[in-house]
Amino acid sequence: MKEIMQKMRAEAARVLSSGEVDLVLGWEKGDLWWQSYPVFIENEKKAELLTWDLFCVPNLAKYLLEEIWHKKRVALFFKGCDALGFNQLMQDKRVDREKAFIFAVPCSGLVDPQKVERAGLHQGLLRVERLGDELTFVYKDREKKTAAPWFYYDKCLTCRYPNPVVFDFMLGEPVPVNPRERFTAVKELEGQNVDARFQYWQRQFSRCIRCFACRNVCPACSCRECIFDLTSPRWLGKATELSENQFYHITRAFHMAGRCVDCGECARVCPVQIPLTSLNRKLIKDIDELYGPYDAGVDPQKVPPLVTFNPGDPAAFLESKGV
Amino acid sequence: MQEIQKARLPQLWEYLAKKAPLYLPQQEDGVINFAPWQEGARVKLESLNTVLPPKSIVFPQWETYLHFTQKARELKLTPTKEPEGSYILFGVRPCDVAGITVLDRVFLQDPVDVFYESRRRCTIISLACNEPDISCFCSAFGLEPGFAPAADIMLWDGDKFLLWQSLTEKGETLTHSLTDLLEVPTPAETESVQCLRETAATVQEQKWGLDGVKERAKDMFNAPIWDSLYRRCLGCGICTYLCPTCHCFDIGDFSRGERGERFRCWDSCMYKDFTLMASGENPRPTQKERVRQRFMHKLSYFPAQHGLYGCVGCGRCVRKCPVNIDITQVIKEAGGSISCA
Ligand code: SF4
Ligand code: SF4
Ligand code: SF4
Ligand code: SF4
Repeated sequence: MKEIMQKMRAEAARVLSSGEVDLVLGWEKGDLWWQSYPVFIENEKKAELLTWDLFCVPNLAKYLLEEIWHKKRVALFFKGCDALGFNQLMQDKRVDREKAFIFAVPCSGLVDPQKVERAGLHQGLLRVERLGDELTFVYKDREKKTAAPWFYYDKCLTCRYPNPVVFDFMLGEPVPVNPRERFTAVKELEGQNVDARFQYWQRQFSRCIRCFACRNVCPACSCRECIFDLTSPRWLGKATELSENQFYHITRAFHMAGRCVDCGECARVCPVQIPLTSLNRKLIKDIDELYGPYDAGVDPQKVPPLVTFNPGDPAAFLESKGV
Repeated sequence: MQEIQKARLPQLWEYLAKKAPLYLPQQEDGVINFAPWQEGARVKLESLNTVLPPKSIVFPQWETYLHFTQKARELKLTPTKEPEGSYILFGVRPCDVAGITVLDRVFLQDPVDVFYESRRRCTIISLACNEPDISCFCSAFGLEPGFAPAADIMLWDGDKFLLWQSLTEKGETLTHSLTDLLEVPTPAETESVQCLRETAATVQEQKWGLDGVKERAKDMFNAPIWDSLYRRCLGCGICTYLCPTCHCFDIGDFSRGERGERFRCWDSCMYKDFTLMASGENPRPTQKERVRQRFMHKLSYFPAQHGLYGCVGCGRCVRKCPVNIDITQVIKEAGGSISCA
């Protein structure tokens, strides 16, 4: 990763000094081990701030909405999942491909701080390093080595596009693609009866504090005016009543149908761990089964199944059989 | 001082829950929050901070305070009665007790908030931290991870037992009713409290010096740090909703036909509509002004008004901000000095 980080810094300095772009979007290291956050670099001398480590998880694509609006040309770094989100923004005609210069960073998985904490490895931790498939947890006076996949985000373990599908310049070599089955949790839920499923989701949604972080971070949520922000009429009240929480989640899930790129950002940012991935993947799975396999964000030229009509499309909902 | 064997805690909770609603940290779907105790509850005392602070009990995310009906030209208002009866908060960490003290400054000052006041008639049983997290920095604000002066009863974790000390009359009364469950600790056990307090204070890795921070923060209105912080902010307000001291609220209505209710609910200075006027004018037009407001309020305006910082160093915002906007960086910028243990 260090080698790629050096290249990142060099490339960022190059595109800024040549005037190819006005801004570079990357990640910067914070004071604590899990902190790697988006950084905005306009001066080549600041390129040294860039980092590439096991915690560079925030997707940078959505910041383009604001920056391109300010007529900036922007260079930015994409992992596999980030590139899918960018393509969705393209498909929604919200970003201009010409304005973005994309560096691809093939990604073999990032570390989920919550998994580190659950394993009790967080106290006194200074940093985490990776060599091959092995992680080293570094403390003041000791080190601990373990197998890396144990600590990867679930979304990384099931990732099918770790090599960015859109880019101008590739940093590093493509990584092998070896995803685990992603519908396990959905299938488990599908196996339960309606009451059990309803109860499950009620319990989840009752925890929602309606911070809208899931929406704000989502590359498929790019409406200029969001229905949930409207004040007149106010479709969604501000009280976190269960029925209102359900209204929020069901509406958002439907808006995501055929558009969610399964990047997992919404589930990552949720402070109360609502399993949004299961909700989104249920819709992905249903669409796959009804209209044939489709992966949002892979090819922005492809026509998404829900914006087109084919006379042969199944229409179970017309037969009122229920689900 | 007294003590209770950990093995007898379920008995204690069952007894307490019969006296009054009992809230303690419980785990559901992997998330630990304060919730009412029931038979079979998955209590998690050993975890440090809950996701939501106990603020969510004394000042719930939303509550109805008025019902109304409107027929033709006649409007009828029925105020909701303030919540009655007391309850017990068990296992509150010292920073969160201090957080409630901050809320008191806001809601118990004239004009007193009657809803808050009645919810505040609770008994707070605090549990000292033995091993603060790397993101905890309560000591920066003169607080102590091993002691909560504003609690009614203080507990220390001595591995197999909890040491028990009442700090107020309310705490004393409750303690008296528990003679069957509490025991007298050995002198060595009583002494261990001092040791636990000292170790907790030293384990907190970062030693802060906050001299002059609130004065310097006052001059930070035009500081460059806001420019570098705000651009990555998602404007989600997680930092405010999860903060034990943030207390801003909004007012809204539910109405259907002729009937409705008026409620108040948490709001956040990180939201675009927080300062949006009916005219469409917004005095905090970009995320920069909103981010600045949050930190200036905690480090400058609140201390100027109330004499204490609007942050208790619980570290929730540090841990949960999706893009790591970290208040300790702002404190350093304001001249807070830090050295590692
Ligand atoms: S809904 Fe969640 S997983 Fe899907 S695109 Fe949005 S953030 Fe990514
Ligand atoms: S991020 Fe979580 S808590 Fe926030 S609105 Fe989304 S589901 Fe609710
Ligand atoms: S500002 Fe952050 S660290 Fe301070 S009390 Fe609030 S949530 Fe805790
Ligand atoms: S500082 Fe972080 S938690 Fe707070 S609104 Fe911004 S992104 Fe959300």
